[in-house]
Amino acid sequence: MKQDKMKIERQIDQIINENVTAIASGEETLDSILAEYPQIAPELRPRLEAVIWLQQAKLSVATRPGFIHDSRKYLEAKIESTHPSGFWQNLTRRYTPQRWVFNIAAPIIVFLLFALMINSAVITARLSIPGDPFYSTKLMIEDLQLALTFNPVEKTNLHIQQSRERSLEFIELVMEGKYEQLPVAATRMESDIIASLHVLNEITESDPAILAPSVESFRDTLSSEIFMLNVLKGSSPIAAHPGINLAIQVAQSGMLALR
Amino acid sequence: MPGRLEIDKQLIRKAQQGDSNAFGDLYESHAPAIFRYLYIHLDSQMDAEDLTGEVFLKAWQSLPKYTERGVPFLAFLFRIARNVLVDHYRQNNRLESKDPEDMDGFTAEGISEPVDIVGSQIEHQHILRKLHRLRSDYQSVLTLRFISELSPEETAQVMNRSVGAIRVLQHRALAALRDELDETG
Repeated sequence: MKQDKMKIERQIDQIINENVTAIASGEETLDSILAEYPQIAPELRPRLEAVIWLQQAKLSVATRPGFIHDSRKYLEAKIESTHPSGFWQNLTRRYTPQRWVFNIAAPIIVFLLFALMINSAVITARLSIPGDPFYSTKLMIEDLQLALTFNPVEKTNLHIQQSRERSLEFIELVMEGKYEQLPVAATRMESDIIASLHVLNEITESDPAILAPSVESFRDTLSSEIFMLNVLKGSSPIAAHPGINLAIQVAQSGMLALR
Repeated sequence: MPGRLEIDKQLIRKAQQGDSNAFGDLYESHAPAIFRYLYIHLDSQMDAEDLTGEVFLKAWQSLPKYTERGVPFLAFLFRIARNVLVDHYRQNNRLESKDPEDMDGFTAEGISEPVDIVGSQIEHQHILRKLHRLRSDYQSVLTLRFISELSPEETAQVMNRSVGAIRVLQHRALAALRDELDETG
């Protein structure tokens, strides 16, 4: 008796499992299913009626249109904001084309901005004169250039170039009326000329053949410096003369030593 | 073509590696069933929507600890949903109201006429009243099997019982529901 009851229970369960989708889609009705199993109809009917009622109840608790799609976006955004993910996870996750463009473009833009900033700083330093905030950077860059130049001829040319740069700074200081800076600038000019002469002296000892062009270039630089400083002296106030005279003396001494 | 379970496994693996899009796919597959399970226990559609999001957020947080060899993903989600419901009841310090006049007036998208909204809410309250008169394990088995459309095996995993026990419980629960429908009309 108990076994029969269990057998019926199992059969009803099977019928319900097999037909629940068909009932929901309307392919099967209560009567059509009961007609197939008349021997267990009294047991099956109330349960099938309950299943049909539950199918209708299911429809009344369905999600509203668009909810799943919208809430998915919200959930993903919330996950993104709350979950700290690693560098490689960030790189390998699925992105939209706009996100990819942003991911590639952002580091490039940052790099270019950084390079532009460095470049601007270098240019500002190169244009600076004694007394400017970036002048020490300019001297540091020049020292770095000298330290990284190992060829004696190139090193001499660099010293000559720096000596020329000092005289240009000198002219600019006079033009801007910064006369108090002139003695220091003249001393710096002297140091560069002495350094140039030292290197030329080293070349004379090691390889006299390549000396001539460097000496010629240095002589031209010094004579044009003397000429420019004399012109400057004629057109500048008396207050600037002691400083200019000092610079002329330095350049003339350099010329003398070169001879 | 891989089946649902296989697709879920692949998505879970990706989600565990931090792929929120894969988790979004899992959400799209399983959120309707979770929502129906929650809404059948609550009288506010908005609460059910909020709690659905909460279930998946908790699932995401627990995902690193989740192993495929343990509880299947759907059962894992339903267990979280059940805990979220319990927390919700505790926070509100009461069982959900079953009075149609106690509704929150939320305007559902896609139902424009106020009369439809009220009609839908009354129908929902009517269903809640019927189901809440049943024993809690009867409510659970009927909700999981016929509202959330879980298989007997999945229902057994969620309820932590054998498939045979679920079959017997479902058999009795359906009869009890039919009697309830007869009594209350």
